[in-house]
Amino acid sequence: MSDIKKLGLSRRTLLASAAVLGGSAFLPLGEVNASTATKTLRIASGEADGVKGTLDPAYGTNDPDAARANLVFEGLVKLDENFGVQPSLATDWKTNEDGSVWTFHLRPNVKFHDGSPFTAADVIFSFRRLFDPKAPSPSAAWLAPINPDAIKASDDLTVEFNLRQPVVEFPELIAYSKIVKAGQTNEQLRTAGIGTGAFKVEHFVPGEEPSTYLRHDQYWQPGKPGVDRVELRTVPEESARIAALVSGQIDIFWDLPLRGLTRLEQDKNIVLQSAHTGFWLGITAWTDTPPFDNLKVRQALKLAVNREQLLKAVLGGRGSLGNDSPVAPWVKFGLQAPQREQDIEQAKKLLAEAGHPNGIDLELYTSASGSGLVELATAYKAQAEPAGIRIKINQAPAEDYWSNIWLKKPFIVTAWSGKSADAALARPFLSDAEWNETHWHNKEFDNYIFEARRTLDETKRGELYRKAQELVRDDGGAIVALFSDAVGATRANVKGWKLHPQKLSQSFVDVTIEG
Amino acid sequence: MRVDPILRLIVTRLSLAFVSLFAVSLIIFSSIAILPGDTAERILGRDATKQSLEALRAELHLSDPAPLRYGRWLAGVVHGDFGRSLVADRPVLPYIGAYLGRTLVLGGLALLVHIPLSIGLGLLAAAKRDGPFDIGMSIAVLIGMSVPEFVTGIFLVLWLANDLHLFPPLALIDQAQSMGSALLMLALPVMTLNFAMTAYVVRQIRSSMIDILRSDYVRMAALRGLPPSRILLAHALPNALGPAINAIALNASWLVGGIVVVEVVFNYPGLGRLLVESIRFRDVPMVQGAALVLSATYISVNLVADLLTLLINPKLRTRTA
Repeated sequence: MSDIKKLGLSRRTLLASAAVLGGSAFLPLGEVNASTATKTLRIASGEADGVKGTLDPAYGTNDPDAARANLVFEGLVKLDENFGVQPSLATDWKTNEDGSVWTFHLRPNVKFHDGSPFTAADVIFSFRRLFDPKAPSPSAAWLAPINPDAIKASDDLTVEFNLRQPVVEFPELIAYSKIVKAGQTNEQLRTAGIGTGAFKVEHFVPGEEPSTYLRHDQYWQPGKPGVDRVELRTVPEESARIAALVSGQIDIFWDLPLRGLTRLEQDKNIVLQSAHTGFWLGITAWTDTPPFDNLKVRQALKLAVNREQLLKAVLGGRGSLGNDSPVAPWVKFGLQAPQREQDIEQAKKLLAEAGHPNGIDLELYTSASGSGLVELATAYKAQAEPAGIRIKINQAPAEDYWSNIWLKKPFIVTAWSGKSADAALARPFLSDAEWNETHWHNKEFDNYIFEARRTLDETKRGELYRKAQELVRDDGGAIVALFSDAVGATRANVKGWKLHPQKLSQSFVDVTIEG
Repeated sequence: MRVDPILRLIVTRLSLAFVSLFAVSLIIFSSIAILPGDTAERILGRDATKQSLEALRAELHLSDPAPLRYGRWLAGVVHGDFGRSLVADRPVLPYIGAYLGRTLVLGGLALLVHIPLSIGLGLLAAAKRDGPFDIGMSIAVLIGMSVPEFVTGIFLVLWLANDLHLFPPLALIDQAQSMGSALLMLALPVMTLNFAMTAYVVRQIRSSMIDILRSDYVRMAALRGLPPSRILLAHALPNALGPAINAIALNASWLVGGIVVVEVVFNYPGLGRLLVESIRFRDVPMVQGAALVLSATYISVNLVADLLTLLINPKLRTRTA
């Protein structure tokens, strides 16, 4: 309780108001950060978390939560830019013949923030708490193959997961699960959790900004981290993010708008970065509902899209063309195939063959709940018109789009964050998927996925995912129109930071500040 | 029996205030209950599974009937317990205190500029009636009022912060290392707020002053040979202040709860932002707490305004007696 008061109306702010009366001296700008030898890195997320923010990696739901967790905790493994698995707290791992038992060797000589050593007991604790029946972590849903009671430590630095069913990509599955020091309560982990990450919590009160972090002196990577202190805050307003960078109030943003960046491009004090992501925007239709139950109608809808034009109109050119597969071509197992082009004549012909010689009238739902969703609908409406596809746009309230429109209306604009090939295919397209937004039930597709999940050989697995993607592309109800780029920026004196294509996976371990 | 009119006013207003606060809380509670979606959905977001939603609903008692939840909240408030935020899982009161504190700092600064500025401009406009200053200023304040605050705010940021480097664009007062830099950080939001607030008060002062300057007693004072500045300030102004005080009170209430747009543009976490965020999350205890504070402020600001009007106008004071 008192920690909020401390931060809220401090003596400093009170004095500030008193100083107006006194007519205080006019002090120069740029004094922040200059006076001490402590190197503070000021980073900001574009998503506001308000009072619901948490440090506990088991319950984080938003971008600032992920940033906090990435500063303070680490996983056994981590994902690189192409969703490839890289070692982190585990140095290497192996599995049995069918992928049902996974053994991880843990990195020796890793210390928690309180100086205690990292061991297998911490791994077991961290995974078991995700399945607490009273307060399950949202991640328990996709970690369901883990049997929490069958995680065993053969010695201090070896952990064995005995899964309920084989999972050949198990390391990918647990890449977001962070390891916390065993024995901490939920309330401790909410605001002051102890991990092995490069930074330890200095101060964090949910709903109060900024949260601050100090260098972990016993961090296992020698010479890291490169800064002494990190300040994390949120700047939800897009124009404010740009202004804060230009004026030097913030050092790093990883979530900049895709348009209106000219000012940053021209500023020599700022370095822009962009990265391909697997985040896709598109339009989905229920394949069991007329007129979309007719394959020819779905094909016509896909052929009516002018993707090049959409890229400019929706993403300001910062992205790449989708090819109706939810796996981006640069993601591991992504489909490599010729780009699908707009073909109005063919679309018309298909519509006529499907029994709509005079075209069809459709109602498309969209909302401002995500960047570009409304622009996508507007641009597609214009593109599809010449093919006889007459679209009426219904712009729903942004607030409730994902709870009231998504999965509840037959023809909608949608967006999915980037995922590994399996997750990108399985979560929206498996017949019994909870988020089957196209009502697509294709046994052949399901079998490809299930078989891929049993196939340890990577080449064979890639072949199965390729066939699954071709099916989605040719038969499914989704127009995967665009993949968005991520855009971030640093002040020019900030070195060593690389924008991760996944918003939730930013790392600040290697960052240094010059000057 | 003769009751002091000022005391009577205070007592009536305060007892009415309790009734209105109760009504406000009931209205807010029912409106949130009507809104689609619930806190569990908001917290867990789009990726939530049915299972985790149910677990969270049970934990937050969201499945209890609405009257029961309201009754529980009201019983707590009567005992001075404003409850715990559903989203933060922490007591509501410290949050409201912290956010209100920041709002009062920004609002207080804005008022400190607003009151002398708008009264001064109004006086000048009336004194130089229909001259170029009067016309120019009327146009200027009207533009300031009609342009939405976020446009003014962003324009000021681009111009004064990014181009001229006079002020920092965001009001990150925790970064300030001295009173001076804190003030600099609040300068742009204070300017933006004053753009939005000035017109009404200026026009109020200007029109009452023009009427008053035509009145017999002012002409009398002029004939007695008093200097014009004295007539303006000591004789005419006090009578023009009455309506202006009410306009200023209106602005003051707006500063407490209505400036969420300005708070967003300058990244300043004030009460308005807390309220909007909490409504988004259907965080009933937090919304209730913030709304009660807002209503209480509104009521007290208006009470103060009425008292001030009475105090500076003896005519009104005796008539109510």
